[in-house]
Amino acid sequence: MGRAATWETWKPDPGNPNQHVAMLVDTSECIGCKACEVACKQWNLNEARINQEPGTYQSHPHLDAQTWTLIRFVERTNDQGEVEWLFQKHNCMHCTEAGCVTACPTDALQYGNYGVVTLDQEKCIGCAYCEQACPFDAIHVDRNPFNPRAQKAGKCTLCYDRITAGMQPACVKTCPTDCIKFGDRDALIEWGRQRVEELKARGFKNANLYGVDQLGGLHELYVLLEPPEVYGLPANPKISTWTKLWKYAVQPLGKLAVGAGLFGLAVNWVAARRAFLQGQAAGHGESDHAAGQS
Amino acid sequence: MAARKQQIRKFTRPQILFHWVYASAWIVLVLTGTTFLWRPDPHGPAVGLGALLQGSVGQWLRLVHRVAAVVLMAAPLLWLALEPRRVLSELRELMIIRRNDIQYLLVAPLHYTFGRPPLPPQGKYNGGHKLNFWVVVLTFVGFVVSGITMWFFRGVVAAETFRLMLLIHNVCFWLGLGMGMLHIYLTVLHPFTRQALSAMISGFVDLKYATAEHSEWVEEQLRSGQAEVREAPAASGGSD
Ligand code: SF4
Ligand code: SF4
Ligand code: SF4
Repeated sequence: MGRAATWETWKPDPGNPNQHVAMLVDTSECIGCKACEVACKQWNLNEARINQEPGTYQSHPHLDAQTWTLIRFVERTNDQGEVEWLFQKHNCMHCTEAGCVTACPTDALQYGNYGVVTLDQEKCIGCAYCEQACPFDAIHVDRNPFNPRAQKAGKCTLCYDRITAGMQPACVKTCPTDCIKFGDRDALIEWGRQRVEELKARGFKNANLYGVDQLGGLHELYVLLEPPEVYGLPANPKISTWTKLWKYAVQPLGKLAVGAGLFGLAVNWVAARRAFLQGQAAGHGESDHAAGQS
Repeated sequence: MAARKQQIRKFTRPQILFHWVYASAWIVLVLTGTTFLWRPDPHGPAVGLGALLQGSVGQWLRLVHRVAAVVLMAAPLLWLALEPRRVLSELRELMIIRRNDIQYLLVAPLHYTFGRPPLPPQGKYNGGHKLNFWVVVLTFVGFVVSGITMWFFRGVVAAETFRLMLLIHNVCFWLGLGMGMLHIYLTVLHPFTRQALSAMISGFVDLKYATAEHSEWVEEQLRSGQAEVREAPAASGGSD
């Protein structure tokens, strides 16, 4: 309860948009109830999608354009030979170096205030470059060829609309175990480190804090009980080299080359016209353009 | 000159149809494809025209892009259906790069700027046409493979594959655009070669011009009796 009191009243400083906020999920306290999923759908007016795969308690196989947070169930046999579940509340990590923003050709995805990666669906053209550039499979565009209005990217907004109005994100607010916390990023990292020590002392020797350094720092932090890979989280996520080459090498070089080429053609035209007129003056027929041609 | 000029047929009607269907689709694809070039720095907003190409405008442009892509992919099939044997003979002609073509490519930049040194004798297609042909073919393959993968196999192929396809699509774009610019410049603007454009409109090109630029081909056509020569019609023919 002390924890709840610490975090539930926290608000970002409206006067300091450079302050970094974060969500921290203490997976050791998550009971997999999926209340956060429901709260997220409800607040963001996202439709219910019934597409659970048989043989699992996980509600959806993965995130989609209208499912912005998902409790991923990892079912496994632990060292003691017991079957156990690990839960990870998966959603956009609000990366400091985000694949999605790098790939987005429009103003739809931006590095916004408070470290949040914002998405403006009005600007989105549905190209899904973001979907394919995200290292966490956290942003999606529906495949719906007949409805362009449905072809918009969708992902967790960190409830930007709520937090800038002084409220907690919907999923944080609803979480019955208070395992999702929202607050100042540095303070949450501090809290997370202590929690990891606490868990280690209680025998969870693999406990770790995820998201501090990945991709320049995530704004979604996790206290994990096992190494990240066990949860399907990349230990060292990267923006793909192909994406970087495309954005930072081929595009600018291409533009440069086309500019230089246009200039070259203009110069060529001036010179060639002179040669052409001289050729004509020297008595060659107008189609016998080449001065040196026999 | 008062006397009507002689013209020789270079391209057939189906070939001309194919060229312009392909060219129109290509231009639409280039223009709609530029939608993706207006955000150079992810840490800043879109620049220039980018602000106008967002949201539903961009969605429509993407749709037009895909329609034009279908046209572009269908165009070669159209030509193949209309005159399959000629397609093959033209391809054979275009594919093979001979010593002359290499020499041509070495000399051409100087020749088309200063009018000298002279060009080596060329067949129906010169080294430049062949270079254009190869760039068109290779970028066509690159565009089609990467485009179809991104269009139909998003989420089926690995994300890393999609990212590579995006890169390939963009590399092809710049290669194709550069070649296309040169191609259009030489046939529409360049003082020496712009008369060649008539061959892609009426099918005929000025005989004197053809003799200067494609001597081997003209000689061979005349010798074999295949040449289709006519007098330039009074008000058309493309040479001004
Ligand atoms: S997790 Fe994915 S969608 Fe979210 S900011 Fe990072 S790259 Fe973008
Ligand atoms: S789908 Fe929308 S948000 Fe994603 S990259 Fe394309 S324009 Fe940007
Ligand atoms: S922060 Fe808001 S948008 Fe993100 S998962 Fe929670 S409820 Fe959904």
